[in-house]
Amino acid sequence: MAGSDHLSELHVTGRDVPAFVGRPGPSAFHRLNPLTKATLATVTAVAAVVLGGLIGPAILVAVAVIGPAIAAGVLGRLVRTALLLSLPIAISAFLVNLFFLPGAETVLLRIGPITATAEGLAFALEILARIVAISGAVTLFYLTTRPSDLVVDLERRGVSPRVAFVASASVQTVPAMVERAGQITAAQRARGLDTEGSVWRRVRGILPIVGPVILGSIAEVEERTMALEARGFTRPGRRTLLWAPSDSTAQGLMRRGLLLGLLALIVLRITGVWP
Amino acid sequence: MSLELAGVGYRYAGAGQPSLLDIDLELPEATVVGLAGASESGKTTLCLVASGLAPRTVGGRIRGTIRLDGEDVDAWPMHRLAERIGIGFQNPATQLSQVADTVFEEVAFGPMNVGLPRDEVIQRTWDALDALRIADLAERDPRRLSGGQQQLVATAGLLAMRPTHLVLDEPTAQLDPAGTRLVADAIARLAAAGASILVAEQKTDLLAEVASRVVVLDAGRIVRDGPADEVLADPALPELGVAPPSAVRLRRAASAAGIDEAVLGTLDG
Amino acid sequence: MLVRWIAAVVGFVVVVAVGIVMAGGIPQSGEADPVTFAFQAVADVLALVLGVALLVGIVIYLVLERIQTGTNASVTSQFTTRTLILMPIAIALNIILGQTVAAALKVPIYLDSIGTILVGVLAGPLAGAATGFLANVLWAYVIPPPFQYPPAAAFAIVAAVIGLLAGTAGGLGLLRPRVGRPTGQLVIGGAITALVIGVLAYVGYLGYTAILGPTNLTPSSDNAIFVVLGWIALALVVVTVVGLFALLVLRRDLTSTYVVVTGMVTGIVAALISAPIAAGVFGGVTGAGTDFLVAAFRQGGADIGAATLGQGLISDPIDKITTFFVVYLVISAMARRTTARFPQGERLLDQEAAVTDEPGEWRGATT
Repeated sequence: MAGSDHLSELHVTGRDVPAFVGRPGPSAFHRLNPLTKATLATVTAVAAVVLGGLIGPAILVAVAVIGPAIAAGVLGRLVRTALLLSLPIAISAFLVNLFFLPGAETVLLRIGPITATAEGLAFALEILARIVAISGAVTLFYLTTRPSDLVVDLERRGVSPRVAFVASASVQTVPAMVERAGQITAAQRARGLDTEGSVWRRVRGILPIVGPVILGSIAEVEERTMALEARGFTRPGRRTLLWAPSDSTAQGLMRRGLLLGLLALIVLRITGVWP
Repeated sequence: MSLELAGVGYRYAGAGQPSLLDIDLELPEATVVGLAGASESGKTTLCLVASGLAPRTVGGRIRGTIRLDGEDVDAWPMHRLAERIGIGFQNPATQLSQVADTVFEEVAFGPMNVGLPRDEVIQRTWDALDALRIADLAERDPRRLSGGQQQLVATAGLLAMRPTHLVLDEPTAQLDPAGTRLVADAIARLAAAGASILVAEQKTDLLAEVASRVVVLDAGRIVRDGPADEVLADPALPELGVAPPSAVRLRRAASAAGIDEAVLGTLDG
Repeated sequence: MLVRWIAAVVGFVVVVAVGIVMAGGIPQSGEADPVTFAFQAVADVLALVLGVALLVGIVIYLVLERIQTGTNASVTSQFTTRTLILMPIAIALNIILGQTVAAALKVPIYLDSIGTILVGVLAGPLAGAATGFLANVLWAYVIPPPFQYPPAAAFAIVAAVIGLLAGTAGGLGLLRPRVGRPTGQLVIGGAITALVIGVLAYVGYLGYTAILGPTNLTPSSDNAIFVVLGWIALALVVVTVVGLFALLVLRRDLTSTYVVVTGMVTGIVAALISAPIAAGVFGGVTGAGTDFLVAAFRQGGADIGAATLGQGLISDPIDKITTFFVVYLVISAMARRTTARFPQGERLLDQEAAVTDEPGEWRGATT
């Protein structure tokens, strides 16, 4: 998009825009443009898949995840969150691949009809490395970027305000809907709904909650539509933005460099030049 | 800058009967007009029609003319009307834009949508917050406020558009007494400052407090239109489904009990 | 108008033909995989070619529309304010239900397309596609734990296609209630419904018994986990099946057959497109309850690709039929005038006698 003049004019949190709007983050990494951080996360994740093996993802994690996490001061949270995130899929992936790799021969362990194999173990570790890289990269992005930062930046670059609206509203609606489900659950429990117990009971218990949550949300659509249109939402074209995250030519170059590097990696991989 | 409805009728999509008929209503500058009537009498529909949401957003069919300062607004798109007429609703929570993390950004939402220059947006936002005395809430998360506070934020969002008219559809209906008091005081202040407001309410006490003129609807037609104290003291109100304000009921009960008017007069204060 | 559609279809067919030729004919990849009966390579090629062809067809249509009319009304008409308000709700539903089912219930279905299909049906194919795509991207990157699910981004394209199909089904009026039909039609509808469900049940049964040995459905020490989870899945399926037949019999509503067929088609397409992604990126495992199915197939000797496709072809149709059924119920529960105001709303309501306009100057919105 435009050169840095236009961008910095929008970024200056001057005397007028209150300081609490668009607060910059605590570390230099936080203050990087959201698109830069997103590019880093995506390139890391895709590269981990493309590279395969154990060493590639390990290096990626060290350089593109752990390093910046230390710089940003979020290493502890990153490790906890990424572990939490990847645990279910990691366990599944590990077990499935350990025991069920077809064509594997070197038996390590036998439990009843299923066997753990060395090849299975190797493959399972590879998949695990991939999963760690992906969740690490994505978690780093999530921990250092507010959703509104990303959406505003995209809108500043030309994304339609309508897309920006849906993205921002979705982020707010998820916790709001969970809260509403909680309220309905409490109300239903007061009326004798059984939410503990066997899995079958729980499945049956979900229905009287899901119904009102969905229908209640839909019933609000009419009111919300009117309220939005009453505030000029239907006006076509761009809208004024109060602020936007800063960007720099250096970051722009870095983003392009990362993407080109990824492209090169994919080409090399496909043509078999590099293992 | 007056808003005039002449011969206006309105029918919702798929409805057999019109919800409004033969509405002739003038909303001049710097006047607070109260709108009373039983539920289903057409108060909300009249608010929607006056603000332009009906038929633009809500569908349905309309007839008659609506003029803003003499100009027919029939062909105006909703976003153009939104800059001149602001409409507020009962439910404070569903009026939030859902994209603002702070009250400031919530109130700025309207001006941002219509593409005003940034300085103008900021100025109008602060002005609106000050007018409703909620500047101290500017940094707060709008979803975490009380109902009354949210209603004030919603109203500030409308004021930031600098409308010539404000239409409020039962703003205190879903609020607790504290919230009602908050909003009622705000409306009174706006009225005193010269705003032009059409406020529909079941709580006639509120109308008695802020309105200089009251219009009563019955089955989609206007059946009373006059100075507030006259209309609100009209003995036919209960038949029309409207509970008279407590002051009126007190006077009637007292005179039925034989207490002298003069004595009551000293209590009125 | 017709020109645009014809051009788009021609473009689609041309790309499919070219794609198949370029891929060297439909490969006869040896024998079918013995466990899943899935021609893995064929499925992959088909998915890619169809995907590209679809994109080309859409682009041709939109370009022609812009040339002919100067705007793209077919796009903007789907994205009214009402649609934009519904989308965040739909996206939240996708994420919450999808995460809950995947993490908590461990059953071989997903239930993460309810919002996508709801928007598609009510607002149109592009709105549905946008909802699905955006939901997956947000789910991966932006939604905080405990709901964050990074693998979702890889499947964004699958979600988009699901939205597209749902929107097309809604636009064609397939989900309009058809209540009070004569018994003859209902019997045919019931037969089709039973056939589809029967085929799916049989395929699922085949998959299970290939692993567990002949008809061993009682829990025992070595297959307990598979069987128990299978029972749960069966329970959910039973509820849907019962519901569908209840519609047929009690309300004499023929649309229940349309729901089943639409769900099955959508499920098969979704499985075809998502299998290569799951296999290639995650080795077939996504952390959801479907993983045990993949495991079971691989135990039986299938390779990753075939196992993933086999799992998809069982789980996806069941999941989509259930989802379409739920969406149909939700729309039936919505007030007529709420539904009617959505872009495709009219096509989801049964015909009613039109209200005759009173004489006089009643007019609708001019803008």
